[in-house]
Order: sequence, then C-alpha cells, then structure tokens
Amino acid sequence: MDNVIQPLENPFAAQQQMLKERLNFLLTAVHPAMYADVVRAFQEEGKLLYQSPPGVISPRTTRPAGTWSLLTLLVAQHISPDIDPIYASSVAVAVESFCAALDFLDDVEDEDQTAIMQELGTARLLNVTTVLLTQAQQALLSLSELGVDPAHILRLLKTLQESALGITSGQHRDLLAEQQSVLDFTLEECIDIAAVKAGAILQLACRLGAQCAGADEALCGQFAEFGLLLGIAAQLDNDYHDLYHLLQDVIPSILPGDAGATPGSEKSDLIRGKKTLPIVLAAAEIAKTRGMTAMSLDDALQKISELSDEERNEYLRALKEGMLATWGICLLYLERARDRLQEFESLRPVSPALRILTGLE
Amino acid sequence: MEEQQIQNFVHRVSTNEELHEELTRDPDDVILREGFSPKVAQIVARLVPHLALDEPISSESPWWH
Repeated sequence: MDNVIQPLENPFAAQQQMLKERLNFLLTAVHPAMYADVVRAFQEEGKLLYQSPPGVISPRTTRPAGTWSLLTLLVAQHISPDIDPIYASSVAVAVESFCAALDFLDDVEDEDQTAIMQELGTARLLNVTTVLLTQAQQALLSLSELGVDPAHILRLLKTLQESALGITSGQHRDLLAEQQSVLDFTLEECIDIAAVKAGAILQLACRLGAQCAGADEALCGQFAEFGLLLGIAAQLDNDYHDLYHLLQDVIPSILPGDAGATPGSEKSDLIRGKKTLPIVLAAAEIAKTRGMTAMSLDDALQKISELSDEERNEYLRALKEGMLATWGICLLYLERARDRLQEFESLRPVSPALRILTGLE
Repeated sequence: MEEQQIQNFVHRVSTNEELHEELTRDPDDVILREGFSPKVAQIVARLVPHLALDEPISSESPWWH
C-alpha cells in the first residue's frame, strides 16, 4: 500500500502564471526607486506575488495568491473560454492592483500594524497605494496596445471609477460609524455596510470579468450580483472570526481551540468601534438584559474574570448568540451565491477552479 | 426576511430553555414546525450542533477575506 502523501495540485497555477506575467510587464513602468516597495506590496498574503510557506498546499484552506484577479479572470474565462489571455489578464491585474490599494488604505485607516506597515511605514505604504491605484487604470489603458476598441476600454474604466467612488463612500460610512453608538445600528444596516465594503469589491471583480468577456448588460448584472452576495458572505465570515479570535484571547478556556490565533499586531473590530453584525447583535442583547450601555462591552470583556459567574455567562451567551446568528446569515448569503452559480451552470459548465476559489464546490 | 428569521431563531433558542431542550431532543421536528424555507432550514440544521449541543463554535480559518 502506498502511504506517500501526494501534494495537492494547485488548481490556479496556469491562471496565476498568466497574471504574474502581465503584472511583471506592467511593473516595468514603475520607477526603480520604488519598484521594490511595489513588488513587496504584491507579496502580501493573498496578493498575486505571495509565496505560500513550505508545507501549506491546500487551495481549499489557504487563500490563493491573487484571489481578486483570479476571480475576474475565471469569470471572464467562464463566459468566453477562448478569450485572449493577455487581454483578460490585463483587466484582472487592474482589479488586483485596485483591490490591493484599497486593502492597504483600510490598514492605514484602521492603524493596523501589519507586517508591511511595520516594514515600509505609513508614508511609503501610502505612496505605494497611489501607484497601485494608478496602475489599475494603466492596466486598462494598456488594452489600447492590444487593439481593443477605445469605447470598450472607456466602459471598463467607467466601471472601475464608479466602483471606486462607491467603495470609498462605503469605507467612509464605516469610519463615521465608529463614532456612533453600537445600539443605533440594526441588522439591515450592518449587512448594508458589508455590501458597500467587501460586497462592492467582489462585485467589481465579477462585473469587470464579465464585461471584458463581452457579456451583455443582463449577464454582467447577474455576475455583479454573484460577486456582491459572495462579498457580503466574506465580510460576515471575517466579522464573526474577528470576534471569535478576540474572545479566544480574552477567555481562552471558554472557547476551546488554537488560543492566541489573533495576530497580536492587529486591533479587533470591537476595540476599533466597528459596527459589525456579531458585535451589534451581542450589544443589543446585553443592553436588553443588563440595561447597560453597549459602549462598555469592550471594557466588560477585558474585565471578564472580575465579573460574577452570572454576569459572565450572560455576556458569553449574548456574544455566542451574535456570532452564531452572523454565521447563519453568512451561510445564507453563501447559499444565495450558490443559487446564482447554478444559474450560470445551467448555461455552461462552471470550471472547478471557479468553484474552489469561491468555496462553492 | 430570511436574515431576520435566522437571527430570531438563534435568539429564541439561546434564551428559551424549553426550546433549547426540544431542539436537542428532536431538531428535525423543531425545524419543520418553524416553517422555514428549504434554504433557511438547511442553514439552521448546520447551526444545531452549536445551538443545541453547545459544540464549540468553529475555529476554522476564514473562508474568504
């Protein structure tokens, strides 16, 4: 019997190679003085030049390198299997650059001490971000060298610009929400925030993939909706895990698992005052049962060992309730995205790579 | 609204000892009685081990971020 464990094949290898080649070509326009910093940005986890640590081989549990651009490229290839790879890769690299820029801006705004922030510092990282935003447009403008109709290039640029305005407004709403009481927020508003943040980003990735493949408006809209649903689910998944890891840090004995899994350099949503769904639901419940302001939720968690058993159990019940409800709603959006994927499947088989990437196998 | 249905059900199980016990004994019956859509019923069924049996909440890595 053969007991040798075979390494899992990377289902995205061909597309990642294509995307890296196009990215490297576009990076030749970057001035040598900042080339290394820009390349470093694309080496962050999940970004196109990211190298998985040795031994991490599963595409199902590890975020693949170039996640955003892969989504655009795989959607384009689904709609038009014979699409010119350089053309589709250029559009996908535009998405990669744009989303990477937003990701770094988010880190700066949230004052997250990520590895790249510590390495480059805020000023250099912001400058890199400007290059990434410019490169997103340059990648689309480079389509003129491939003989793409200027009207089509303008259409793609218009989608990118409209999306940039929408996502930035969404981010601003999220920042303003930090100053408001958590008790002022509802389930619907939390989902709305998720929609204008991660939802809008994946919406853009899918819409541009469909547009570049020549899909009509109706099909572009369907793919945009697929991305939106997927993005909302992703945001809720992230929000729920953020609170989970915070609780593990504060009360590891109560939530068994890999204690200390929170990257210590990053602040949690609770401490930042983010109005994520699990926090809003837990705060509303605590306010109802204990009659206290939810502003003190963070304080109570930090002092949880000093609380009486009864008080501690009430906090934990409310937090668990918030997390479970959020997880359930995350699954709901994932199932809605799956429904859309089945509609696409009824017209043409969906590639295993697109299924694996979206987690909808 | 399906979102609200899920939130309400989680809340009721979390605060109502009788419903919690009933869900532990016979989850299928409780889910059927609630009249959920097939999609919501399927999701609630996935939550049952954590809601009723108090299995630890998943510590799996985020699926997409």
